[in-house]
Amino acid sequence: MKRRTTIAAFLAALCMPILAVAAEPPADSIYQLQAQLTDQSGRVSGLDVFRGEPVLISMFYASCPNACPTLIAAMRRLENRLEPAQRDRLRVLMISIDPKHDTPEKLGELAERHHADLQRWRFTRPEAADVRGIAAVLDIQYRELGDGEFNHSSIVTLLDREGRIVATTQQVLRADEEFLGKLRALIGAL
Amino acid sequence: MMNRARWLAAAFGLAAAQLGAAAFADAIANDFRPIPAGRFESVIAPQPGVTAADVRAFDLAITPVTNAQFAAFVRAQPAWRRGRVAPLFADTRYLAHWPDAETPTPAQAQQPVTQVSWFAARAYCAAQGGRLPTWHEWEYAAAADATRRDARADPAWRQRLLDWYAQPADELLPAVGQSPANVYGVRDLHGLVWEWVDDAGSLMVSADNRDQGDDPDLLKFCGSGAVTMEQKDQYAVLMRVAMLSSLKASYTTATLGFRCARDADGESR
Amino acid sequence: MKPINGLRGTALALAVLAALSACNGEQPHAAGAAVSAAQATQDTGGSARGDFGPPQGEPIKAVLTSPPNVPPPVNRKHPAKVIVDLEVRELDMEISEGVKYTFWTFGGTVPGSFIRIRQGDTVEFHLKNHPDSKMPHNIDLHGVTGPGGGAASSFTAPGHESQFTFKALNQGLFIYHCATAPVGMHVANGMYGLILVEPPEGLSKVDREYYVVQGDYYTVGKYREKGYQAFDMQKAIDENPTYVLFNGAESALVGANALKANVGETVRLYVGNGGPNLVSSFHVIGEIFDKLWFEGGTRFQENVQTTLIPAGGAAITEFRLEVPGSYVLVDHSIFRAFNKGALAILKVDGAEDKSIYSGKEVDNTYLGDKAVSLASVSEASQAAASGTLTKEQQIKAGGSLYNGTCSVCHQANGEGLPDVFPPLAKSDFLMADKTRAITVVLNGLSGKVTVNGKDFTSVMPPMSQLNDDEVANILSYVTNSWGNQGPAVSPEEVAKVRATTQRPQGAAH
Repeated sequence: MKRRTTIAAFLAALCMPILAVAAEPPADSIYQLQAQLTDQSGRVSGLDVFRGEPVLISMFYASCPNACPTLIAAMRRLENRLEPAQRDRLRVLMISIDPKHDTPEKLGELAERHHADLQRWRFTRPEAADVRGIAAVLDIQYRELGDGEFNHSSIVTLLDREGRIVATTQQVLRADEEFLGKLRALIGAL
Repeated sequence: MMNRARWLAAAFGLAAAQLGAAAFADAIANDFRPIPAGRFESVIAPQPGVTAADVRAFDLAITPVTNAQFAAFVRAQPAWRRGRVAPLFADTRYLAHWPDAETPTPAQAQQPVTQVSWFAARAYCAAQGGRLPTWHEWEYAAAADATRRDARADPAWRQRLLDWYAQPADELLPAVGQSPANVYGVRDLHGLVWEWVDDAGSLMVSADNRDQGDDPDLLKFCGSGAVTMEQKDQYAVLMRVAMLSSLKASYTTATLGFRCARDADGESR
Repeated sequence: MKPINGLRGTALALAVLAALSACNGEQPHAAGAAVSAAQATQDTGGSARGDFGPPQGEPIKAVLTSPPNVPPPVNRKHPAKVIVDLEVRELDMEISEGVKYTFWTFGGTVPGSFIRIRQGDTVEFHLKNHPDSKMPHNIDLHGVTGPGGGAASSFTAPGHESQFTFKALNQGLFIYHCATAPVGMHVANGMYGLILVEPPEGLSKVDREYYVVQGDYYTVGKYREKGYQAFDMQKAIDENPTYVLFNGAESALVGANALKANVGETVRLYVGNGGPNLVSSFHVIGEIFDKLWFEGGTRFQENVQTTLIPAGGAAITEFRLEVPGSYVLVDHSIFRAFNKGALAILKVDGAEDKSIYSGKEVDNTYLGDKAVSLASVSEASQAAASGTLTKEQQIKAGGSLYNGTCSVCHQANGEGLPDVFPPLAKSDFLMADKTRAITVVLNGLSGKVTVNGKDFTSVMPPMSQLNDDEVANILSYVTNSWGNQGPAVSPEEVAKVRATTQRPQGAAH
């Protein structure tokens, strides 16, 4: 009798992490938002593709001439300031505001151009109807100007492993030290 | 004797009018009107240096969504109940004016629903097979009066808008559908409630409305810097832009509602 | 070495001269150079020297007051963190008796709450927009160094709250106002107030401090047209206000709401001008500003009657009260004070001091060039009224009347002017015919007359503006003076001639 209970308890303990991950995200997590993302390899996921790890998340579009390359470089700069072990825990999720033009192929080319570590970085495009909602939860503004050009704000957001917003930064020319501090603290705490 | 009869007649008339208004509101609340394609001068420049906006043909609801209609949606989709909805999608005053989470008062039934967030409005319209109108679509339809497609140059049109802005929020909103139809057959675009649009969060106006946009922080707003509001004499419309640009997607206010739009038959956005 | 030429040379020479004379101790030059030199080094350093370091001690919740009151002096020697909680409310209030207007307010009043801090303080500013508001609002404080004066960081939707933090680097008295589009409308609806950033050493102590802000208001209806009045954007663009008021209402600072003080006290007024359009010519009737910190800055001028306060600006005035009474604060563009409401009252109680202001001492009639005493005239008319008039009384009255009227031409001694004006003294023409004499006085005379053998061809104007009594008395006088002797002339006789003859055109009845 005692042995069965012990085994049951052991099995239950094994299942716990799985159950925990399948549970509802917290009320203030952006993973509450239902959205469908397709990445550069064609994989389909929700916004919570990296749930369980800290995430740097931002929005861009592939034909963007100025701010987006700078944005991506800024995110590279931030992660390079981390210790390798910390960097391994960090995920980067880039979401396109131009799903019409940013096909997986195009996203793949972009990833290559930026030498992104595709173990940890994903360049995705949402379904057309989902773009506004994602921008809304990230407080990002964008407006199509015609000819595939966009006017948009550049914001990098740090999510904890449950998708809650921990910090944001709009600094793209140099590393935001305060943001970096929060990033280190978040990873260090895990 | 004569006075009493008159008084009774007046009381009946008033009751009938109120019932009539409610019935009318009920009747038209689910109706849409087609808005033809067009080009017009917008206060939000579609592109730097270009002030004329092109609008494709679309359908617009005749009135804003009512409390009764929204209640039906909440009952069908409990995830949108007050108390259940995630704070990410609606702030603490969401539907605060209803006595319980699913039912407005009878008096509220035909009033435009307020205390709703952008997410909630969007979800409602999607559930009806529609969407929110964009800013340009809304501005285009709202430029009309009863006889003209573009009445914005008429000082009387402007003063009507300003008069509504100037008065503080009423305790009791009137029922939808009571203002005269504009030339498209659409009502209540002015004088009832502020209305959400699909790109309300992206009007890209500086929080300091005085900024002239001549100092584009190219890295803050990739492209062309914060938009200056064009046509400064269209101040009545600019106030609406100012209002929308102060809101985050989860915000609700006592004077903010919405109506839905649909793509015109056979057109895709 | 290049030769120094022209203007530069002159300037250099003058500077050398000034320096040399300073060395010599020549008073005027030295004093001037010394004062300007002193002023050049005595500035407070502006924002560059306004940061006194991080806040010390516990955070302080700012005491905000409604107009016309002002929070107490800061009375602190170190910089602190001050938390300001300001709420925006849109309210229907009376702008004038029976006239309602929708004001948008900071703190529920126009002007908004008064904020008082010390230079170097760190302010954590919370701006709340009441859920009943229809409009979004923000705030630009003129004392803030930073984008939009805070406007960019405080844009707040109804039912929400924004927060931003700033350090007050500059001392002074500053306007704050809403800067949401259209800015002019938000300001015109009353969204302004004052924030005082005290110098680190504080301000000198005074007996009373008050808070007054002028604004211009634009309504669709006319001045004092009753009922609800809406804002009129076109009038605002045309800068044609309906009302110009202190503290947001015609009744704000008059009657029971007047500012109060006592004789002997020193009053300091913190005065702002919210605009949106007008510049104020601020004046207190009956007082002089002993000290005036013009434009709310650091230096003061003395003995100023009227000061200009720009739209979006402020001033601090200080004056001592010596005499009781009602002192009227006005915009001295004076039609605004009396036709649009720009006036407020400071009621001062206390003992009179006649050595400084006596009030009215004498009230006499002023006769202009009629220097004679008319006592005899009034005596005669009283006697005539009671029917006891004597010839002596008539002659005396007539003499008073003759001098200053007839004497101008005929002279006081009745001799006239040879070849010009005929004599009356011993005049054969005068004494021959009483009725003719009366006629001449009433109707004038032109053409040739011969008096005492001499010809005169002047023109005598009609004197019919004199009444019957006056004509009778004057004639009684002339026919009994300077050697003339004759009977009195009665008013009845004069009346008869007046009735039976015609006055020339233009003459009085």
